[in-house]
Amino acid sequence: MAQLLLRNLTRAGNAALITKGTSSSITGAEPGSRQLHTTQACCEIRKLARLRVVDNSDLGKRAMAEGRPPRCIHVYNKRGVGLIGDKVLVAIKGQMKKGILVGLKQKQRIKQPQFDSNNLVLIDDNGSPLGTRIHVPIPTVLRTILKEKTLAKGADYTKVLAIASRYV
Amino acid sequence: MNINVRILTKSVAQQYAFKRIVTFSTKPTQQAAAAAVPQQQEVTGPTVRKPIVPAHYRFVYPEFLPDPKVEWRNAVREKLERLDMLDRRRQIELPEFYVGSILAVTSSDPHAAGKTSRFVGICIHRERCGLRARFILRNVIDHQGIEVVYELYDPTIQKVEVLRLEKRLDDSLFYLRDALPEFSTFDENMEAEPLEEGAPVPINDIKVVLRPRPWLERWERQNLLGVANIEQYIKDKHRKSAEKVQKPWEKYDLMKQYRATIPEEEQKEIFAEVHTELHTLELQRKRNKRKRTFVKPKHLA
Amino acid sequence: MNQADVSKLMSQLRIAVRPTKRNLKNPDGPEGRLLKLRKTVTALVKHERIELYYNRADEARGYAELLISNAIRHGDRHKATMELADYWLLEKQLVHKLFKVLVPRFENSNVSYTRMFKAPRDYPGMYYRKSVLELRGNPYPVLTPDNSQNRNLLHNVLLDEARKEFRREKLANLANKLAAETENATASTTATPAQAPVTETQTEQSKQAEEAPKA
Repeated sequence: MAQLLLRNLTRAGNAALITKGTSSSITGAEPGSRQLHTTQACCEIRKLARLRVVDNSDLGKRAMAEGRPPRCIHVYNKRGVGLIGDKVLVAIKGQMKKGILVGLKQKQRIKQPQFDSNNLVLIDDNGSPLGTRIHVPIPTVLRTILKEKTLAKGADYTKVLAIASRYV
Repeated sequence: MNINVRILTKSVAQQYAFKRIVTFSTKPTQQAAAAAVPQQQEVTGPTVRKPIVPAHYRFVYPEFLPDPKVEWRNAVREKLERLDMLDRRRQIELPEFYVGSILAVTSSDPHAAGKTSRFVGICIHRERCGLRARFILRNVIDHQGIEVVYELYDPTIQKVEVLRLEKRLDDSLFYLRDALPEFSTFDENMEAEPLEEGAPVPINDIKVVLRPRPWLERWERQNLLGVANIEQYIKDKHRKSAEKVQKPWEKYDLMKQYRATIPEEEQKEIFAEVHTELHTLELQRKRNKRKRTFVKPKHLA
Repeated sequence: MNQADVSKLMSQLRIAVRPTKRNLKNPDGPEGRLLKLRKTVTALVKHERIELYYNRADEARGYAELLISNAIRHGDRHKATMELADYWLLEKQLVHKLFKVLVPRFENSNVSYTRMFKAPRDYPGMYYRKSVLELRGNPYPVLTPDNSQNRNLLHNVLLDEARKEFRREKLANLANKLAAETENATASTTATPAQAPVTETQTEQSKQAEEAPKA
């Protein structure tokens, strides 16, 4: 309950914190793809948001190298907008995979890092990651969030923490 | 004649008037001033010593100046905030820094392994005033751009170090988000580069190289000085639209500037209030620094 | 806006400043608004007293005040101030007036450089409020009524009474002195010449006593 409240607060904060430089292109790093935007830029992780896989799983690496980053097709929470530590379902190279958000472009709370891309770590249904290493820093707050989720959901998400190379 | 009476009533009114935000002068009228001068001289004759506030204080401590928006002013709240800020500054060293300086902030973090986390980065923006003053640090770690917002007077901040004290050509460096990553990459184990005492803060006139479009903002409209290759990526239509949104008359709009600034008299009053305290803190810091530098060679030997 | 702009330093105005600007209805937007105000400021510096609508006068007043205060602050050798004067004064000979006439006039002033009065509007006529805007120290006759000579004002009544009492005391002293002198004179020889002034003063006193209840 407390966590939910906290999250709502964050969300409200995000709306208030919008300052210079929030407008941005559609999420995700897509080096080769066509840059066409027909809608206003949105930093939120909603359905059809593009993400960047930051672990060394074979699937993720190939998808990123081809310039076809995964798209979010569902966010596993009750508000439809993914926040840090949330589980999402992604479409990646014609498959459906689950993943955990480990870094967001959206405005964050004070002292929590805000990333230049929306980062994702692919996991299987049990919560164990597909890759063996995360090659970018992940926020420390993930430790607490994922531990809490592990207790609540039954799946072991803390394995994601174990493969992290660096915290920020 | 009745001038005297006028002065009397005015001075009485001034004494008992509840002191509010001054959007007009509280200075006495001409005659009253003339009448009041001899009295003042008698009183202030022996105690002429007034704290001389250095002119650069408004750049070093901009957060001590309140928000100029009249609706948000409140003299009592501002004063209390200043006292709180001084209290905090007595506890922790909050050094002078500017947009473009490289900082290392150590803060307590309940989620981190050692319960503290340290972040090194370039200050790209400073905003807000009073206790809510905050700044944004940016760095690229493992090819991943990261930004963190810190509040200057946050009690969980343990240490603020200035690794390199310098200014840049622009007031805010949001364009680093669209620049090549090497322009916002800074080593985490960077040593502090001390500046000579009394030397002016150097201005780093480095020009950053932008990535090709699309950008997060329309930088071509912002008359940036610290960007090298903006011309390379914009077309005639961008140039035209940028020209259209320029506001060349704004530098002559005196009242707009007046409403965005705190008048000099008020600034003097504010800094006179906090100057002595800040000055002693500065001296203390210098003494401590000297001590530290003196100890080091002994230790090595 | 959440932090004061520190790049510029301005003197405090001695007039009431509205928290927001008036847009002054103009098809050309903010630039046209400034052109309107430039015309008003130019006219004010030229004629020293102008009558116009209240809103425009109130807006222009701040600009005129700041222009003069900047001119006093930086003088005519300061490039930015000269540019400002060049922009705000449409007639260029007025730039000389600003630096050579107005600056010396207001240099040691402790009050605002301009004054504004509400003016009556003709009925029936335009609805807008009118006002008179003037520079202080102008050569025209003053607009405010001079109340200092009104006998019925309380402080004037008090002053009159005080004056009377002072005069009465002085005459009493004089009379005492004269009485002493006559005594001395009678003691030595005969005394007659001192009587005439005594009677005069007595009559004066009686006259004032009659006047006092009237005042």
